[in-house]
Amino acid sequence: MIEEVLFEISSLSRNPLKVQGFRFGRVGTTPSCVIVGPMMGNAIDQLWIASQLVRFLRQHELANAAFVKGEILVVPTVNPYSFNMGKNFWPLDNTDIDVMFPGYEKGETTQRIAARLFEKTNNYDYAILLEARKDHVECIPYVKVLESNMDAIDDARIFGLDFIHVKKESPTDTASLTYNWHVWNAKSFSIVSGKKGILRKHEANKVFDAIVRFLAKKGLIDFLTFEGSHGNLVMPSDLEAIKSTAAGLFDALANIGDSVVHGQPLARIFNSLDGTLLQTIISPCDGIISCKYDYSLIFQNAIAYRIVNVESAQNNL
Amino acid sequence: MIEEVFNVKLPVNESLTLRRNRFSPEDISTSTKRISIVTGIHGDEIEGQYVCYLLAKWLNSNKHCIKGIIDIYPAMNPLGIDSITRGFPFYDVDLNRTFPGNTSHFLPSQVASAIVDTVRGSDYAIDIHASNIFLRELPQVRISRSTADELIPLAEKLDIEFIWVHDAVTVLESTFAHAMNSLGTKTLVVEMGVGMRITKEYGQSLTRGILNLLAHVNIIERPVQPTTKTMVSNLHSEVFFINASTSGIFIPILEHNVTVLKGEKIGEIIDPLSGTIEETLISPCNGLLFTIREYPVVYEGSLLARILEDPKEDTAL
Repeated sequence: MIEEVLFEISSLSRNPLKVQGFRFGRVGTTPSCVIVGPMMGNAIDQLWIASQLVRFLRQHELANAAFVKGEILVVPTVNPYSFNMGKNFWPLDNTDIDVMFPGYEKGETTQRIAARLFEKTNNYDYAILLEARKDHVECIPYVKVLESNMDAIDDARIFGLDFIHVKKESPTDTASLTYNWHVWNAKSFSIVSGKKGILRKHEANKVFDAIVRFLAKKGLIDFLTFEGSHGNLVMPSDLEAIKSTAAGLFDALANIGDSVVHGQPLARIFNSLDGTLLQTIISPCDGIISCKYDYSLIFQNAIAYRIVNVESAQNNL
Repeated sequence: MIEEVFNVKLPVNESLTLRRNRFSPEDISTSTKRISIVTGIHGDEIEGQYVCYLLAKWLNSNKHCIKGIIDIYPAMNPLGIDSITRGFPFYDVDLNRTFPGNTSHFLPSQVASAIVDTVRGSDYAIDIHASNIFLRELPQVRISRSTADELIPLAEKLDIEFIWVHDAVTVLESTFAHAMNSLGTKTLVVEMGVGMRITKEYGQSLTRGILNLLAHVNIIERPVQPTTKTMVSNLHSEVFFINASTSGIFIPILEHNVTVLKGEKIGEIIDPLSGTIEETLISPCNGLLFTIREYPVVYEGSLLARILEDPKEDTAL
């Protein structure tokens, strides 16, 4: 393993921001894979997954120098500054690094961070970003594939996660790291999981296993793994967004990953002053809960749950 | 007439409400022109509040002059404005990157969708922004090159100091202005002043400009004033960006809104700990200093100034 500082940004009063990389195998050989950890400073699951991958690869490479075939680079996080102060985005101006790609070396600070990260990570065969949801939800682990990258579906299945979500690109998606890796010919994936701000080892370890499986199946490591799931393809139209009609205290009765049936109570909303039951949220379909609102106070019209509609998703199998 | 255009209940005994003040003539027909004056999409930008006040005050006193519909929307992000928060509080997203919005998405996207729905059908719209808290801006209209031919003649009626025609950027397709221009509402974006502050002379000047534009498009009965002072960035005058090469404290030497000469000192980045000058910023051209950094703490890459180069001779002729 080679530990290196990929790049630095100086600061007025803090120690310099150092973006650290851990390189395994032989530099410049193929197949190659880069795994980049979170750009948001509250994506704890993703930091856990990335750091555990470094630990796993380091231990196996120490035991067997030929463990890694080709080259693997792990960048556990791009934004230590925000992690160290409980912030989500870049601490000074609250900008999101993941809408700055491919970056601009003469631009603003986060554009420069993006440019330097991109320059260090855009020449790999496979590129994986560990991503937390930006909205207020917790979600089951899934592989996110943008619509412009449908060719990647077969490779996405190799992770063995239960679901592959196909997302229609928004304008901001075109400035994301995963999108730009793809434009520059890497096979790129985002793996989304967890809940911001806390470590949920159950979901995080599923992602860890999925990445190890991918590395093994792609011949990047000499390691035996179990087969994963076939990977159910979920198109945007297969997701039922279930909204609150009331606002108040949110009492969730069902959790992510639960199989639910049409008519099943999912949550209750109570008046936050007098305790009156205002709404019982009911599942409109049979399916699996992929996302759940993650806070105990809920707005009216907030998306309380997203359910993968099992009937609708049959068409994609 | 003050009207509610969007309402959603918040968890604890409060509602989030978007309001507009509509001024209209007694007789409205299908040919009656309509303009929407929108501000407060970024909660830390307050300059537009004063313009809305001055405009409403003028219209209240000159009802006999009103020939078309003037809708004033002072607060598109009420939670942000009342808490000095640029983005949409709780969700921590930039509302001006969620347009045209989606009623099935999270609350900021629903708000964006409601704004588009209520402004839809206007012939014209003006979206007033201040700068953020970091930069002070000369009043300017920003126009994407793709809409320049249509919008520059309209923007000139504002008699604003500067019209900046910039290249199309994909990320900006998520803005209010792009969404409305795509729907056929000729929409101008005004930037002026600095975040969290009101610059009275800018507000007064822009209000005069808006009244002039309203007269020009026959929404109010008033003599149209000739406009004289507007400069337009075009193919013959480049905008130069000056970014910090190092971190530190930026001390400007020049005032905002002055003509600078190539080689002239704009400011310095100093290190308070060592007592040294870390960088001296020099103007790369002759031109107008229309942006200057207001917030002193800088990282490498922080934007310090922008200069509109003096027009070059047209060598093609």
